[in-house]
Formats: sequence, C-alpha cells, structure tokens
Amino acid sequence: MSAFGSNPWLAVAVPFIVAVVIAALGRRATAVTQWVAVLGPITASLVGLAGLQGSVASSSVPWLTQGSASIDAGVAVDGLSAIMLVVVGVVATMVVVFSVGYLEHDGAKARYFSLLALFTAAMSLLVMSTNLVTLFIGWELVGACSYLLIGFWYHKPSAASAAMKAFLTTRVGDVGMLLGLALLWKTTGSLDIATITGAAPGLTAATATAAALLLFMGAAGKSAQFPLHIWLPDAMEGPTPVSALIHAATMVAAGVFLIARMWPLFEVSEAARAVVLWVGTFTALFAATIACVQSDIKKVLAYSTISQLGFMFAALGAGAWGAAMFHLVTHAAFKALLFLGSGSVIHGTGTQDIREMGGLARQMPVTTLTWVVGATALAGIPPLAGFFSKDAVLAGVLHAVPAAGAVLLGASLLTAFYAFRVTRVAFFGQSRAETAAHESPLSMTAPLVVLAALAAVLGFFGGSITHALGLEAEGLEAAVAGASVLAAVIGIVVGIVLYAGDLERAEVLKGRFQRVHRLAFGGWGVDALVQRTIVAPAGAIAGWVYRVLDRTVIDGGVEGIGAGAQFAGKIASRLQSGETDVYASLVAVGFIVVMGIVLWAGR
Amino acid sequence: MTVLVLCAVVFGIGMYTVLTRREIVAILAGVELMLGSANVLFIALASFSGADAGVAGAIGLVILVIAAAEAAVGLSLVVTISRRSKRSSIDELTEVNG
Amino acid sequence: MTLQVLAFALAALLMLGGAAVVALTKDLMRLVVGLGVFLLGVAGLFLYYGHAFLATAQVFVYVGGVLVLVVFAVMVVHRASGGRPIVASRHDIGAAAVAFGVSGMLVMSLRGSVGGWLPAPGASGASIAEELLGGHLVAFESLGVLLLVALVAVLVIIGSGERR
Repeated sequence: MSAFGSNPWLAVAVPFIVAVVIAALGRRATAVTQWVAVLGPITASLVGLAGLQGSVASSSVPWLTQGSASIDAGVAVDGLSAIMLVVVGVVATMVVVFSVGYLEHDGAKARYFSLLALFTAAMSLLVMSTNLVTLFIGWELVGACSYLLIGFWYHKPSAASAAMKAFLTTRVGDVGMLLGLALLWKTTGSLDIATITGAAPGLTAATATAAALLLFMGAAGKSAQFPLHIWLPDAMEGPTPVSALIHAATMVAAGVFLIARMWPLFEVSEAARAVVLWVGTFTALFAATIACVQSDIKKVLAYSTISQLGFMFAALGAGAWGAAMFHLVTHAAFKALLFLGSGSVIHGTGTQDIREMGGLARQMPVTTLTWVVGATALAGIPPLAGFFSKDAVLAGVLHAVPAAGAVLLGASLLTAFYAFRVTRVAFFGQSRAETAAHESPLSMTAPLVVLAALAAVLGFFGGSITHALGLEAEGLEAAVAGASVLAAVIGIVVGIVLYAGDLERAEVLKGRFQRVHRLAFGGWGVDALVQRTIVAPAGAIAGWVYRVLDRTVIDGGVEGIGAGAQFAGKIASRLQSGETDVYASLVAVGFIVVMGIVLWAGR
Repeated sequence: MTVLVLCAVVFGIGMYTVLTRREIVAILAGVELMLGSANVLFIALASFSGADAGVAGAIGLVILVIAAAEAAVGLSLVVTISRRSKRSSIDELTEVNG
Repeated sequence: MTLQVLAFALAALLMLGGAAVVALTKDLMRLVVGLGVFLLGVAGLFLYYGHAFLATAQVFVYVGGVLVLVVFAVMVVHRASGGRPIVASRHDIGAAAVAFGVSGMLVMSLRGSVGGWLPAPGASGASIAEELLGGHLVAFESLGVLLLVALVAVLVIIGSGERR
C-alpha cells in the first residue's frame, strides 16, 4: 500500500502503460490482454484507498516554464480525489470484467480494452491534478475516450454521429471552461488549484461569478445538464459497459467533481450558486419526466443519469457539496449496476426495447435480482445506498431553497416511478419476446453481484465520505427522510400498478395524452429546437462557405497555385540538362548567394 | 589570415577540378582537395579560437576517416562501373537518369 | 619564428602545388602524384598546428591507403578503357568563376575568426583518445560502424559488378 501511497502518479502511469501494451499487442493477444486491462483500474483504486488512509505524497514536476510564469504538472491525492479514484477504479474494474463477457465475440477487443485503460488513466489524471491545466488535459482526454468509445461500432452511422454529437456538445461547454481558465489565470496569475482557491475570497463578486459560471459551463457540458444534455441519450449507441463506466459513473460525474474541487470559488459567488442550483433542479425534474416515457432500456437509464446528475448539481448549488459527492459515489455504484444489468439483459435478449422483454425474472435470475437492488437504490428506499445520499441532497437543498427542494422531491417520485416501470415491464409479467433469453456468463454476473452489494451497503458510509472530504457529517432528518421515502413508495406503487398485466392501462393513458407523450418521448423538443436554431443555420452557413469560399476562393487559389507551379516547372525543367557539373555549380552559386546575404545582413 | 586564404584557394581549386573534369577519378581527387583543405581550416580555426585541442583533434580525425570511407566507396564505384561498361566519364553514366 | 614561418610556407607550398597539379594535369598518373603531394602538405599543416597524431593518421590513411586505392582504380580504368584517357575539360571559365566566388566568400565570411601566426599548443594522441573514448564514445563507435558499412558497401558494389 505504501508504494501506492508514495507514488500517486502510478494511478495515471499504470493504466496508460496498460493501454499502450494492449494496443501494441493487437487483436491476437486479446485473450490475455483483456485481463491485463484490469491492472489499470486496480492501481487507481489502490492509490485512492491509500489516499483515504491519508498516506499519499504529492509529486510534481515543473512544466511549461514561460519566463517568470510556470505551470507545474503535479498530482496529489486528497480526500476528494481519493474518493473519485476509488469510484473510478472500482467501477472500471467491474466494467472491464463485465466487458470480457459482453464483448466475447467482438473483433475489435484490443481497441476497446486499450481505450478503457486509457480512459482510466485520463480520469485519474483529471481527479488527481493539482493544476487546472493538467486537469483540463485529463478532462479533454476522457472526452476523447468517450468519443472513441461511443463510436466504437463506427460502421453504424448512428453510432458515428452520436459520437460526434457528444464530442461537439461537450466542446461547447469546454469552450466556456477554457475561457474560465483564462479568466482565472488573468486575475489570480496562476492555474494552480490551491493558489486559486486560496485567492478566491479576495476576488470581486463579478469576477468570481464570471469565472464560476464559465467553469460551470464546462461542468454542465460534461455532466449533461440542461441544455447541454442532448448528447448523453445518443451516447447510448456505444457498448453498454462503456455507458456504465463513462456515461453513468465517472466521466459525467467529472462536472460535479470540478465544482467540488473549485468549491471556494463558488462559495464566493452567490449568483453562480443559484444558477447551479436551478439548472440542476430543473434538469433533475426535466430529465425524470422524459425517462418516464422511454421504451429503450438504455435511454431510460440515460435520462435517469441526467436527472440524478441534476440532483448533484442542485446539492452543489445549495452549498451541500459533501452531499453531492456522497450521491456521486452511491449513484456511481447503482447506476453502473443498472447499466451493466441492462447490458446483461441486452446480451441475453438481443433487444433494448422493454416492450419486447417481460418475464425475464425466470430466465435471468441473477440479473433480475441485482437489477431490483439497483432500482430500489435508485428509487431511494432504505436501507439501500440511494436513500441515504438522496436524503442528504434533499435535506441540503430544502434547507437552502425550499422551493427547489420541493421540485426535487417531485423528481424523486418520478425517479421511483420510472425505475419500477422498467423493472415491472422488463423483468416481470408475461414474456413478450419471440426467443427465450438466457442468463449471462459468470464474468458478467459477478460484477453485477459486487456492484449490487456496494449499492446495498454504501449508504452507511456517508459519514466517512463526508469526513474524508473534511466536512461535518450530518444525521438523517426524520421529516425529510419520511417525505422522500413516501415519494419513492408512491412512485413505485404507481409504476407497478400502472404497468401490471399487459401494458393495457399504460396504453390507454398514452392514447389520452398522446401529444404530451410524444413531446416527452422526444425529450420535450430540445433536440429539435437545437436542430432548428443551431444545427440548421450552422449547416446553412457551412454550405454558403463551402460554395463561395471553398469552391471559388480557396479551390480557385489552390488550382491557380498548381497551374503556376506547372508553368514554373516547365521553365525550370530546362535547367535539368543532365550535366552534373552544372548542378554542382548551382549548389556552389547557392552557397555564394546565401553567404552574401548573411554577410550583408550581418553588417 | 594566411592559412585562411590558403585553404580557401585550395578549396576553390578543388571545386574547379570537380566542376571541369569528366573523369570520375579526377572528380574524386577534387573532392579530396576540398575535404582536406576544409579539415586543415577547421583545425586552424580551432587553434585560433582556443577551443579544447583534444576535441578539435577528435573531430578532425572523424572528418578524416569519413573522407577516407567516402573515397573508398567512390573508387569502388569507379572500378565497378568501368568494368561493367568500359567507361569512366561521368557524362556517359546516364543509366540511372530519371 | 622564422623556422615556423618556413615550415608553414613549405606545407602551404606542398598543398598549393599538389592542388594545382590535380586541377591542371592531363595525365591521370600525374594527378595521383599531385594528390599525394597535397595530402602530405595537409599532414604538414596538421603538424604545424600541433596535431601530431592527426598528421600521422593523415599520412597513414591517405598517403598509405587511399592513394594506393586511387592508383589501383586508375590502373583498372586504364586497362578497361584501353590506354590513357584524355582528361577533357569544359565550362572552364564558368567553373573558374564559381570556384573563385566560393573561395572569396570563404575568406570574407571567416576572416574575423583567424588570428596571428602563432599556433596554440596542439593535442597529443592521448588527449584525442581521451576525447574519443571518453565523452564522445558513442560518436566514435558510430564512426566505426560507418566505416564497417563503407567496407561492406565496397565489397557489395565490387561483388555485384563481378557477378554480372
């Protein structure tokens, strides 16, 4: 353990080396290298565990020295990064093991596992950086890995375009983040996180608000908050384990991590906190309503993830960043569990549409059992993990802004509803599938069981998590807990009752509110709006640029240069007499001319 | 100054030889003139600049050895060419022209 | 002082004379002799600047090795082409102008770097060895590799000529 404690950079180096090795050995060695991939995340979690015991040294090297300004590339593990490291390491380990079964017949396993290891390295760099520049490098690297893994099946056009959409949408946020970094650099003269957070109280309110909001823009893009959430549902085109790791547990939580990391800056700016709070609250409710009507099991989970991230941002905005981190940890466990469970279901049934499933409980007992644990945790039923963390979030928000707390309470009712709607439709009742499903192999069920165990018990570690963050742990509040459990139970009951039997009742309801249903199914039209207001005009501008600038100006110029070169070549070819002494003379003349210029200029 | 002029003149003579001769052996000899004078000039300048004499000598030796290798390869080419085509004038070697 | 100037003048004369013969003679064997004289002059100048080891190497490698090679080459070429070839020349004036220009530029560009008459103390063989086998070992070794490659290349070139 001490080896990991004194060398935190191992959490970045080992996964990176693993990624290179897997990629170098290629597809013939995947039978072995797919297991080697586990080494990376395990190292990350060991460093994280060492950090939780408080025995991690920081290490940094000077880098990018420009005159008097220098940026140190450093890693350090404090409570916050230790928690993130453990989350990343454990979930990534589970996902790697799961993927061995899930991608058993895929030909591109080397690329897949190499990217997973690279992602782990990038994520470790992100969470351990002592410096916003290296943090940003990790930030962009996880984005790149996400892009590559969403587009893993790039021969599917939908996957390729989803990858591009994810990349471009998060890039919108990243532009804001870069501007924020520039602003912080200008005002504090440093990009060292400790320096900035130390200088934060001295900033003017306007500067702090601007910087905080710009950083939040990056965080919102990464964490799929309204209105930059549109990429996450599409990102489900990637392999399901990738969705579990990147688009549920770790990368999308990086936004939450960033704000927690820069918390002193947000503490200065009340306005920025209010924005974070209301964007988070709105996203939580907004995404939950969409999740209620999706029929694709992964889409439900995607919107659920957006909603849960909204909970975390609401908690951040309310000042309860400890609660947000706690919810991040438990959410990572149960949402990774749910995603891997859905992966197991997709693997077993060959479909993602819950209407074509049904009655899976008999055919896939382990998957069903672990799924129910995950869904219950998501709904927030004690004593599972989700209850404790969601309760902490609700309590924090209710104390700060009661109205937002009430909205979140409604969102958690919807959460319980959609969680058990899927559970009821997919796993119980009559089978609607044409072919019988089969239970997944051990390498897939074992991670499910481990994550289910974590989802069940993690709630009891809320105290130690807040303690590791250096905050005071708060006990449960009976009123809040009662209200949230009540909301969850109502949601569960409605979900189960409404979808009992043959989906008839639900169909009737759907028929009555057809317009609302269609709107909600399409994500309340945000995608279409973006398509109309941004993509279409951009396309039109691009078309104009292509026709006018590209065709006439640039192509014309290039072709002109080409024609000129041809003409010059025809003339120059006359020098090509084949007489070597002429060539040598030309070299010598060149020397004379060059030396003449040098001498004349040096005078 | 004298040595500079000497070496420059010899270098020029070497270049003149290279440019005017058609016999490959003669061209190689001209190259040797250029290399030799350059080497002498290098050593002389090293003495004037007060550089470490050991380093200068080492580099001079390197130049010398590379020049010798170049001469050996060039001469072997000459021999081979003349044996294959009975020619030794550079203008007749047009086989590899593009 | 006088002796030194005399030594320098002798070496310089050897260089110039040899070079002139190489440039002007029409006979290949005389050209070889001129080259040998020139190389001896170079060795003399090395000696003048105190690089006794370099001078020895120059004599061994060139006068002893390369020159013999040149003689062989000349003899083989002669036999192959039947009789002594006429060394023709052309572009005389242009080449002379170019060569003169290069010489002039060399003098112009380096005139600030040369000093007076007295040479600095030169390097002994031991100090060169120290440099080559100490700080510049890698350079020295790659030089050896280069020579080996050159030798192999010579063998390959000659060998391929024989086969065909």
